[in-house]
Amino acid sequence: MKTKQELKEILDFIARYATYQLGSGVHTSRAVRNSRRIGEALGVDVQLSSFQKSTVLTVLDPESGEALTRVAAIPALPISFERNSDLSALSWEALDEGLALDEIRRRYRTLVDKPRMDPIFTLAVVGLANASFCRLFGGDWTAVGIVFTATLVGYAVKQRMQAHGVNHFLLFAGSAFVASLCATAALRFDCTAEIALATSPLFLVPGVPLINGVIDIVEGHVLMGVSRLVNAMLLIVCIAAGLSVTLLMVKDSLL
Amino acid sequence: MIVTDMLLDGLFAAVAAIGFGAISDPPMRALPRIALLAAAGHALRFCLMRHAGADIASASFVAALVIGMGSLWLGRGIRCPMTCLYIPALLPMVPGVYAYRTVFSLIMFLQSLDRADGGVRYMQQFFLNATVSLSVIALLAAGATLPIFVFRRRAFSMTRRK
Repeated sequence: MKTKQELKEILDFIARYATYQLGSGVHTSRAVRNSRRIGEALGVDVQLSSFQKSTVLTVLDPESGEALTRVAAIPALPISFERNSDLSALSWEALDEGLALDEIRRRYRTLVDKPRMDPIFTLAVVGLANASFCRLFGGDWTAVGIVFTATLVGYAVKQRMQAHGVNHFLLFAGSAFVASLCATAALRFDCTAEIALATSPLFLVPGVPLINGVIDIVEGHVLMGVSRLVNAMLLIVCIAAGLSVTLLMVKDSLL
Repeated sequence: MIVTDMLLDGLFAAVAAIGFGAISDPPMRALPRIALLAAAGHALRFCLMRHAGADIASASFVAALVIGMGSLWLGRGIRCPMTCLYIPALLPMVPGVYAYRTVFSLIMFLQSLDRADGGVRYMQQFFLNATVSLSVIALLAAGATLPIFVFRRRAFSMTRRK
């Protein structure tokens, strides 16, 4: 049997744990499962339902019948597969090793505070990735080189804008514009310019919300799934808008 | 020749997957497996389209299914949930050129409204390209997610130590 204070501490932790996952790109059913698993390890029953911006959760002590409920806001965090894996693993460790709340909290802290991938490294591999993408679409080597450079510039712009906390719709449209504008250099050379232009803003495609949206919908979290897809669609529209500005400038040389 | 084409295709897909994956901060230990899955999936799609006459949507579905099954198999060893492996691996299959042509034909349609044919050709292209892009993306997501439903228990305990 838990005292009210213990129950409150469990609720606080699970609220933080669940919203952190939902904010960093974990699909809904996994976040729900992981949170309930932590609850099971601590001897309480956890129920939660989530919306795009907030989560409602209730922790019930089955012995005393006492329950506490809270609404917690979901923070806007960068997507992280590493934390997705680690926090999932933490819930299994809690259950299999029968960890106490203090120990779970300590491990959670170290996992969340792990450094993220180095931004310069990310910049370089994103450039290479988009260049290979151009090759996959049948671009020639000149186009590949131009796409590599355009992506470096576009992604660097995105990183700078992110650091300044620019609204993410503007950020997507702006980076798509800059990347595609750099790729118009391909029009000056005898190469597959259309493919270079087409590939240059593709590093922005929001793959994680798109796929998470589909997973959520088929798993029955339809509201969450649809809102993720709407979000992803808005971002795609922003990419298209940024690209359109460039296309309007150069359309005559493309026809 | 076919083999070289497929290997090259797989290689570029692997680089693309690692790079696009890096945006979403994947665990370092997952990168080789993401590359392997992306290479296998993309090379399979390439082969199906080039040599078996499959269309892009059904070929993408089959490739995504293979990536999904592969992530179920490869994720267990490094304690990574399936989504961490298959989302980056699917990204090189995003139909970028079709998406681009969708945007381009929409702009050209709007620019040619006052012409005699009203840019009907561009509208047609817009729908064609939009339909292909959307179906490919939907089938990619569906194909890779299918194994989660078939192998529920295994898919839900990927990060468990025992």
